[in-house]
Amino acid sequence: MWEQVDRVLRQATSQIVDHVANFLPGVLVSLVLVLLTFAVAMLLRTAVVRMLRGIEFDRRAGQLGFAVLADWSSTASPSVTIGRIVYWTIVVLGLLVSLTALNATIPSQLALSVFEYLPHLLAALMILVVGAIAARFLARAVLIGAVNMRIQSSRLLSLFVKWLVLIVTVAMALDHLRIGRSILLLAFGILFGGIVFAAALAVGLGAKDAVGRVIEQRLREPERPDDTVNHV
Amino acid sequence: MASTGSNSSVRAAEAEAAQVENAAPAEVVVGLTSHNDAATIGAVVHAVQAALETAGRADTARLVLADAGSSDGTREVVRGLVAPPRLIELEYARGATFREMPYHGAPGRATALRGILEAAHQLGARACAVVDANRQAADPACIDLLMTPVLRDGFDYVSPYYARHANEGAMTKGIVYPVFRALYGARLRQPAASEFGCSGRLLSHYLAEPFWEAEHAAAGIDLWLAVAAACGDFLTCEAALGAREVSPRGAPADLSTTLAQVAGALFADLDTRVDGWQRVRGSVEVPMVGTVPALETDGPSLNLDGLVESFRLGSRELRDIWTWVLPPRTIVELRKMSDAPPDRFVFDDRLWATIIYDFAFGYCHPVMPRDHLLRSLTPLYSGWLASFAREMRGAGLAQADERVEQLCLAFEAEKRYLISRWRWPERLR
Repeated sequence: MWEQVDRVLRQATSQIVDHVANFLPGVLVSLVLVLLTFAVAMLLRTAVVRMLRGIEFDRRAGQLGFAVLADWSSTASPSVTIGRIVYWTIVVLGLLVSLTALNATIPSQLALSVFEYLPHLLAALMILVVGAIAARFLARAVLIGAVNMRIQSSRLLSLFVKWLVLIVTVAMALDHLRIGRSILLLAFGILFGGIVFAAALAVGLGAKDAVGRVIEQRLREPERPDDTVNHV
Repeated sequence: MASTGSNSSVRAAEAEAAQVENAAPAEVVVGLTSHNDAATIGAVVHAVQAALETAGRADTARLVLADAGSSDGTREVVRGLVAPPRLIELEYARGATFREMPYHGAPGRATALRGILEAAHQLGARACAVVDANRQAADPACIDLLMTPVLRDGFDYVSPYYARHANEGAMTKGIVYPVFRALYGARLRQPAASEFGCSGRLLSHYLAEPFWEAEHAAAGIDLWLAVAAACGDFLTCEAALGAREVSPRGAPADLSTTLAQVAGALFADLDTRVDGWQRVRGSVEVPMVGTVPALETDGPSLNLDGLVESFRLGSRELRDIWTWVLPPRTIVELRKMSDAPPDRFVFDDRLWATIIYDFAFGYCHPVMPRDHLLRSLTPLYSGWLASFAREMRGAGLAQADERVEQLCLAFEAEKRYLISRWRWPERLR
């Protein structure tokens, strides 16, 4: 009997040793990958920050519409913020790759699904950045144009345009990420329908006379005296 | 010459080139720029012919017509009065190829002027006068004043000086002339005017300049030609051409667009001549030819309250945008002005000069889209104009000129501020 026990124990031990021997290289590889990931991430962060500082990105960030980057972090400059984004993106990707090296089923599936989702994430990010720039550009153009037309509620108009563009941008980004598509569509329909309906009611009932007066003035009133002067 | 892209225009351009090549050399070339000016161009052509006959140059002169695709029979009017070989018609790019109508309502003006100057150069002209066809009152003596200083006195560039009421041409008086004078050192009071005279020597210089295809050329070419003359080794003078009454070409551009085009052209040229203007100190007077007449009519009225209100609205709403180009102390000054009662609303000359220099700097070192920057200047200009017009209420030509002289001295004094900003952009923030 002792011989049988001894054999079973030996078999179990050899199986465990075999399993450990099979698993250990994966662990070693994933450890190396983690270390490499952190090293590459740090190097890339430094390189990106230096490059952005070289092209005076911090100064230009505002004019390019990236002021939102500075708003995310009260202490870091936009170039440092972008450096951090690059760093953490590489770290997360590196960790996912290192998980696949362990040859474990669940982490590998997770990594694969994340990699499949990554293009959508990048596209959504791009949509957000372009949208933020467009919102800022259009809001400023509307503000300046409205002030030059002597419209008292210029700021309100500008804010309306800005938020309209931002909301559309966020909706597009979420749609691209396949998050709450039906709810989003419904919410948008209700929101815009509501706005148009409210505006129609406001003009039709509340400001009918005012709108009439403005149109009448436009059609009948001669040019203002200051418009007849040759400025050049 | 730029073509319109169609076969017919290509053929017309070839015919025009042949017309110029085959023409006999001319001593004087008078260039006429037009765009739907059928109502006025006849009188202008008569005045040109009378001026040439009086001076005894009718046989050695050519009339070059650069018409921007008029649809009202402008060309036919000219053809009815002058025939080839005395008349040379130019073909150049038409309306559809232009993105934005310039404030003066003449599309493709740079191309038109280039065509006239090239024709004059090919004809070996000693003098070339450019006359705008939308003049309501064309006086032969005025046309002669654009040519005689070149032919008789040896001047290279004749800049027109029109007698204008204090409120008229405020953009020229408040921005263009002071900056032009402070930067380039020549006291040409109306450097952006659409008429001028130039010598054969200056013609060659102009044609070698790189600005013909540049952005803002359609609106700024007249100013750039004056700058090129002032910056080069050329003799310049002013010719008193009397009061200028022009027939408007279509609906006038709004104030904001006009300001963006005029200031944009001025600042764009400033950026290309940095090495030159940083060396210029002070300014020199330019000889005047002819006599400046007294103004007989009242000047146009201005809605001063509306202008002040425009400034206040801008000061309230555009302050965030202005902080991109204006230093904090200027913002504080503007806030104080905005809070001042209407009867004490005064725009200080030095403050105005530094604001214009700051915008010029902001234009050349973009901190935001240039169109936004230039258009955001409109409320500030309205404020300055309100202050200037209030001060000039009832003033004559001499008083207005005196006041503009004071303003120019402020621009000259503050030029060091512009140079400092240029050399050490971060120091003054």
